[in-house]
Amino acid sequence: MSQNTDLLTLRSVSKSYGTVPVLHDIDLSIRDGEFLTVLGPSGSGKTTVLRLIGGLEPLSSGEIQLDGQDISRMPINRRPFNTVFQDYALFPHMTVSGNVGYGLSVRHLKRKEIARRVGEALELVQLGRFAERFPAQLSGGQRQRVALARALICQPRLILLDEPLAALDLELRRQMQEFLKSIQREIKTTFLFVTHDQEEAIGMADRICVMQAGHIRQLGTPHELYYKPNCEFVARFFGENNLVAGRLGPVQDGQRPIETALGRLVCSISDQPHLKAAPDGANAFAAFRPEALRLADANDGDNRFSGSIAELAFAGSSTVATIMAGADDAAQRLRLRMPSRIDGSALKSGETVSLCFAPHEGHLVLA
Amino acid sequence: MSALPRPSTIFLAAITTLVAVLLYSPLFVPIVSSFFIISHGNVDWSSPTLSTYVALAGNHDILAALRTTLIVGVCTVVLSVISGTLLALYYHGRRSGRSILQFIVFLPFLMPPIISGLALLIFFREIGLERSLLTVVIGHTVFVLAIVYRTVLMRLQSMSRTLVEASYDLGASGWQTFWRIILPNLSSAMVGGAILAFALSFDETMITILVTGTQSTLPVRLWAMMRLGFSPDINALVALILMFTVLLCVLAARFLIPKQMATERN
Ligand SMILES: Nc1ncnc2c1ncn2[C@@H]1O[C@H](COP(=O)(O)OP(=O)(O)OP(=O)(O)O)[C@@H](O)[C@H]1O
Ligand SMILES: [Mg+2]
Repeated sequence: MSQNTDLLTLRSVSKSYGTVPVLHDIDLSIRDGEFLTVLGPSGSGKTTVLRLIGGLEPLSSGEIQLDGQDISRMPINRRPFNTVFQDYALFPHMTVSGNVGYGLSVRHLKRKEIARRVGEALELVQLGRFAERFPAQLSGGQRQRVALARALICQPRLILLDEPLAALDLELRRQMQEFLKSIQREIKTTFLFVTHDQEEAIGMADRICVMQAGHIRQLGTPHELYYKPNCEFVARFFGENNLVAGRLGPVQDGQRPIETALGRLVCSISDQPHLKAAPDGANAFAAFRPEALRLADANDGDNRFSGSIAELAFAGSSTVATIMAGADDAAQRLRLRMPSRIDGSALKSGETVSLCFAPHEGHLVLA
Repeated sequence: MSALPRPSTIFLAAITTLVAVLLYSPLFVPIVSSFFIISHGNVDWSSPTLSTYVALAGNHDILAALRTTLIVGVCTVVLSVISGTLLALYYHGRRSGRSILQFIVFLPFLMPPIISGLALLIFFREIGLERSLLTVVIGHTVFVLAIVYRTVLMRLQSMSRTLVEASYDLGASGWQTFWRIILPNLSSAMVGGAILAFALSFDETMITILVTGTQSTLPVRLWAMMRLGFSPDINALVALILMFTVLLCVLAARFLIPKQMATERN
């Protein structure tokens, strides 16, 4: 696996349907062998990105490069990519093996060779017994796996999957997530996987590309997205978060204070040069995760403020408190998450408590 | 159903039965009576016989008409299935011009046959085409095209667009996609449409009378026979046509019910 070379590159790709712009100047590099997930709310343009790469739609402007060569005008049936469609798109008049072998038989391979490779592909997706069934005689999960085998058999450089698990129920979905991931590790092919389910994205992806309104907002590992979101949208969209608005103060070695309604909060800015470069007084948010917020004790000096507990919710392994913090006229609604204990929570509803979070567990987001 | 009070249910059932009997029993009269001898307006119920059918089989005029009907039917089916399918393929997914085309295709089917027939007759005369079996075939094709077009178009519309995309995505050419994906998915609709087209062509009378040359088809022959008076072999002929047409319609229905339902049953 050579995860550091780029397989596919989108260079300022735009797309409009008629006069309606749908994608704006997208730049994206997909690395060879990675599992890249495209995540975003409905209508953000995820499917469109996939269809442009697959060749199902023409670009309005920009360029798509494969191994450095422009393939923007390469017809769909020549591109070494295969798609797993959301509705599976299995051919209803062909058996499972007919479906899986289709990509080989249109290339006029020998019958024997096709039969052998269909057998292998069906073994890989554990459907050997179903070779002679028709798609109408399979369950949703089985159809899904046929669609995957049909795409894999052509040995594509890149597999495009458009919300392939959306139609499955929760349990089956979990199984298929693991299954897809294990297959990807086994065959070492690059996967581009579209979803609007962030848990799915976090669980499966090597890297995640967050899209909103036709723009790529951030591209990074799940850890980077979670702890170093680069904009308000990602900070709010990706996982639960507390955001408090304020104005930036002067940089102090790897940290930067922000003046907020909760007072002066100090947050880490390591490895985020754009936060270091932002002018003093710029509008920004202090962001800290519910699990970073905790009850303050006597030793805690930084990022300390008081709040009253408005609500306490038991959620199994953890307990979530909703807290109103700061002065009454500018009260901030915050969430605090702590591990649950068998003898009940240390917090009481209605109580006023002193809270804090460590500077290295907070980050800044420009407004 | 059971939302209605009981007396009105009985009343409705009685009315339905009455209507059914009044409407459909005449259809069975010729079938039943074709197996009995009729003399001086009285049916001799005592001895069922096939003699009317024997007489029919010996009637060379009728056999010739039957041959003509079959030739016209087959030619009409071939022409209308090919052109109806091409039209449906061409206009599927295309917005502009489709409603106008549909209007034109449906016009001859919806207009009174005598109007369609006259229009065709005038047209053939204008372009100097002699009336013959060819003009009959053209007339029938124009008449049944709507059915084939509609049947194929409906199947195309129910076919998921991603099937075609998946085929290209897997490396197939346009030609391969047409032969291996689109056509197989349309085939049962085309067979269903063909059977309906044949049934319509088989029964068509008015247009045929107007545009035919010297040869007559079965219904036209029947029409001519009726003018000469009622003879027992007419019963047999009507019975045969009736049974044949019903058979065709049953067949057509088998091909046109969705595949999904057929496979779910077993
Ligand atoms: N064929 C089309 N013609 C016109 N507009 C389109 C077409 N396809 C998509 N759009 C528009 O482009 C935008 C992006 O659509 P896209 O399907 O890429 O969204 P998505 O992120 O995949 O959403 P979802 O999660 O709901 O599938 C939407 O606003 C949609 O209305
Ligand atoms: Mg989509």
